[in-house]
Amino acid sequence: MSGAIRLGNRRRTPIKPSRVMFNVIGIVIALVWIFPVYWMVNSSLLPNVVLQEQTPTFVPFGGSWDNFTAVFAGGTFFPALGMSVVIALVVVVCCLFFAFLAALAISRFRFRGRKGFVLAILFIQMLPAEGLFIAQYKLMASVNLLNTVLGVSILYIAAVVPFTIWMLRGFVAGIPAELEEAAMVDGLSRTKAFLRITFPLLAPGLVASGVYAFLQAWNEFTVALVVLQDNADQTLPLWLRGFIQASASRATDWGQVMAASTLVALPVIIFFLFVQGRMTSGLVSGAVKG
Amino acid sequence: MKRKIAGATAIALASVLVLAACSSASPNKAAGIGASTNGKGKTVTLWLVGADTPDALRTYLKDEFKKETKGTLNIQQQDWGDIVTKLTTSLPDANNTPDVTEMGNTQSPTFTNVGAFLDISDMYKELGGSKLLQSFVDAGKVDGKNYTLPYYFGSRYVFYRKDVWTKAGITTPPTTLDEFNTDVATIASKNPAKINNFSGFYLGGQDWRDGISWIFANGGDIAKQSGGKWTASLEDANTLKGLTQLQALYKSASKAPNDAKDSNQYIYLNDDDAIPGATTADKATPVSLSAATIMAPGWAHWSIGTKGKTDGKVTRTWDDKIFGTFVLPGNDGKAAPVFAGGSNIGISAKSKNPGLAKTLLKIMFGKTYQEMLGKNGLGPANSDYTSALGTDEFAKALISSSSNSKLTPAAPGWASVEASGVLEEFFSKIKDAPDLTALAKEYDAKITPMLNTK
Amino acid sequence: MSALTATPRRRRRILTPYFLLIPAVGILVLAMGYPLVWQLITSTQQFGLAQQFGQPAPFVWFANYVQLATDPYMWTVIGRSIAFCFVTAAVTMVLGVLIALLMGVVNRVVRIIIQISLLLAWAMPVVAAMTVWNWLFNWRIGVVNWLLSSVGLPFQDHNWLQEPLSFFAIAMIIVVWMSVPFVAFSIYAGLTQVSGEVLEAAQMDGASASQRFWNIIVPIIRPVLGIVLLLQVIWDLRVFTQIKLLQDAGSIASETNLLGTYIYQLGTGSSNFGLASAVSVFVLILTVAISAFYVRSLLKEDES
Repeated sequence: MSGAIRLGNRRRTPIKPSRVMFNVIGIVIALVWIFPVYWMVNSSLLPNVVLQEQTPTFVPFGGSWDNFTAVFAGGTFFPALGMSVVIALVVVVCCLFFAFLAALAISRFRFRGRKGFVLAILFIQMLPAEGLFIAQYKLMASVNLLNTVLGVSILYIAAVVPFTIWMLRGFVAGIPAELEEAAMVDGLSRTKAFLRITFPLLAPGLVASGVYAFLQAWNEFTVALVVLQDNADQTLPLWLRGFIQASASRATDWGQVMAASTLVALPVIIFFLFVQGRMTSGLVSGAVKG
Repeated sequence: MKRKIAGATAIALASVLVLAACSSASPNKAAGIGASTNGKGKTVTLWLVGADTPDALRTYLKDEFKKETKGTLNIQQQDWGDIVTKLTTSLPDANNTPDVTEMGNTQSPTFTNVGAFLDISDMYKELGGSKLLQSFVDAGKVDGKNYTLPYYFGSRYVFYRKDVWTKAGITTPPTTLDEFNTDVATIASKNPAKINNFSGFYLGGQDWRDGISWIFANGGDIAKQSGGKWTASLEDANTLKGLTQLQALYKSASKAPNDAKDSNQYIYLNDDDAIPGATTADKATPVSLSAATIMAPGWAHWSIGTKGKTDGKVTRTWDDKIFGTFVLPGNDGKAAPVFAGGSNIGISAKSKNPGLAKTLLKIMFGKTYQEMLGKNGLGPANSDYTSALGTDEFAKALISSSSNSKLTPAAPGWASVEASGVLEEFFSKIKDAPDLTALAKEYDAKITPMLNTK
Repeated sequence: MSALTATPRRRRRILTPYFLLIPAVGILVLAMGYPLVWQLITSTQQFGLAQQFGQPAPFVWFANYVQLATDPYMWTVIGRSIAFCFVTAAVTMVLGVLIALLMGVVNRVVRIIIQISLLLAWAMPVVAAMTVWNWLFNWRIGVVNWLLSSVGLPFQDHNWLQEPLSFFAIAMIIVVWMSVPFVAFSIYAGLTQVSGEVLEAAQMDGASASQRFWNIIVPIIRPVLGIVLLLQVIWDLRVFTQIKLLQDAGSIASETNLLGTYIYQLGTGSSNFGLASAVSVFVLILTVAISAFYVRSLLKEDES
């Protein structure tokens, strides 16, 4: 419709109608992707009996916070939340720092063993984790790090760092070294040239890698299951799984399970919405310069 | 047999050696140590699996333990889904092992056979002796020594819709297994409630824990032992007889999907109120009732009933006019043998506080605690206290069905049989098998090697 | 600059990359070294529960590998895993690229809506997401069956997990749903490096949309495409959690096992750690083999 009206605008004529179509497709895709998330939140507000009906209830009219109240009443959510936040922070910070240094090494320097290192971090990711539990447990037990934030963090950092190196390597390599060199010719030290020129260009890469590391640390549960055996030291995925299993051993209360799931997802969603602005602004600035 | 003993001796010896090596720093020398009450400043860890043990019982244990030993009891709740993984990693680790742990009765032989638990034969009499549930005691026994003992038992029986059965013209519960088989097939074909995919008897395709009763009732079994070696016995004539009946049930009485497992069967028995816009006439939105009969562990009765509301929360109230229970009958006038559910309990061989752990066991096998178990619907290990279960319909069904309950084979590799899901797979194929004998042979060949692995 | 000052400077430059690598290498050795060695050794041993409880583990050298190589079931699982991995990775890549391109042509509001919904899907913890998905496809009260049967299709009480083929279709939908956000965002970030002026110029010169895509956009985002594709293949080949949780909900495990769940079943389930380790090593070799060609071209590109 609006495309027809604006047909007079010559420059835009070939673009407009398809743009409307693209927008519609975009909305449809967004709806498809968000539906399971919506369904979780919707269900968390409805009582279990409504959820057991064969006809789904799509809008939580007459819903309540009862499920959330019941979940909080367990009293174990907040300790688990604290544990997860601390682990995620440690993992993100260490991971970004370690990975950034390594990415710098492999994309800015030519040195002996470089290829080997690149291959090694690639291959490490190919190792199935399902066979490593026993050894990981023994390792952590031998250094007395079972049931500790540090123990889990070490395993997580090791699991995430290879990929973050890969990701950052791409970003570092995407920034022409000539930029830095030009700055150095202008009299800046290597470090300063790096900080002033390269680092800002890296921001989107760092944000993206950080998001990845955060997600992994937040969501992982098989390693946590093995290394965190004390009920007092649970991460959120363990807590959620325990909640689901406890619920399933009697009558599964889907409403409460969904409320618990929502609570686990909520901090990530908040974190993402916060970072999202930075990620896009980083991307946009990158685009302008590119 | 001789080889088995030799093997077991080697294991026992090795575990003693390892134990000695690992615990040389701590003064205790495992076996032979008496129950200790000197727990000041010490903590004993107890693993309980699942939420079955109610909070009141946990509190009692903590308080009582503190009173008797001045020590602290740390109760950790583990999940059924992960318990094997956790026992595998923690029990051999002296620094992180729980002192006392609960485990499924079918998991007990596997861990007992590798020397994971402390020999508590010296306490057997004191904790109840021959009064303890024998099949569970056997599951924790190696070469005549007691390593684990029963914690509580559960049992499976039949729940049914009286109203639907009556509408189909059947007014009295069956008294033989054959009668049961015919009744549920009749109800399925009459479908008096006019519901799509209606099951006379809902039996999930992978639900071997309930289906196994038909094998037991015909004198069959999953596996048998001879000369120290275990062999799967699905192809035995008696087992096959049971399998044939199961096939008929799957075909004529049950509309459950072939991958349905033993979980939450009761939802198919309940009515739910129609939500706005949904009526029975509307084909797309039938009411949730879709089975006239199910078999489930006793605790399922808490979730069966007519819907009500208290304080905004939905409740289920058992109504004698609509719902009923009976124990699955056998063809010999007795109850059909059912699969016994429940737990065993044992002291880790690596425990640093075996004396205190023994005191904890004494508390758990004491009169007060056993009766507390019974009052909460969990079958007490000691038969002296079974009366604590009460006298209602459910207690009666639990006691009567468990009178003839059977355990899974005490083969060393039983845990791997369960973990591999091979029985689930076998049962799921019964319905559409053109040749049951061939199917049974195929799975015997798969199961036998698993039974004997350690 | 004299030779005297140049030498230490050069040496420092040679050592710098090694210093930069220390933290990453350190943590990898610390956390992965022992488990890796343990796995390699265990794969040549007969290592069961008894060994876990302290009995000495006899070396059987390659017996575990021979047992695997001669087991037809192992080959079934391998074939299944490779097929699942390729199809899933391909679908993920195509959808990811299309959505990334789409984000470039829609207006601002729509783009933000797409981004937020992708982010939300990405942010869902696996355990939570799997619970929701299991429930959407529940045979009795699932929304999917309800939708299909309310438009008149015979899907009431249809059990999606019962047949292996539809089981894997569901698994693929879930894995794709979870992986597309990452792919789309990475490629979208890569696309920002494509200059709009060049594209406009090409368009003026009469290049069609597909020509512009293949000849201008693809070469520029090739590094991103390459890494993302490689990672998808690696991740999809060892997919575990999603399959395990789906299996818990329904299906017959032996018909739906992929390599990840097979290793889990052998090791954690049956306590046959020797065999499980052998499968793990085998998966590692397999992944290396599948990606070897690709890794080589990546490295070559990297060299130039």
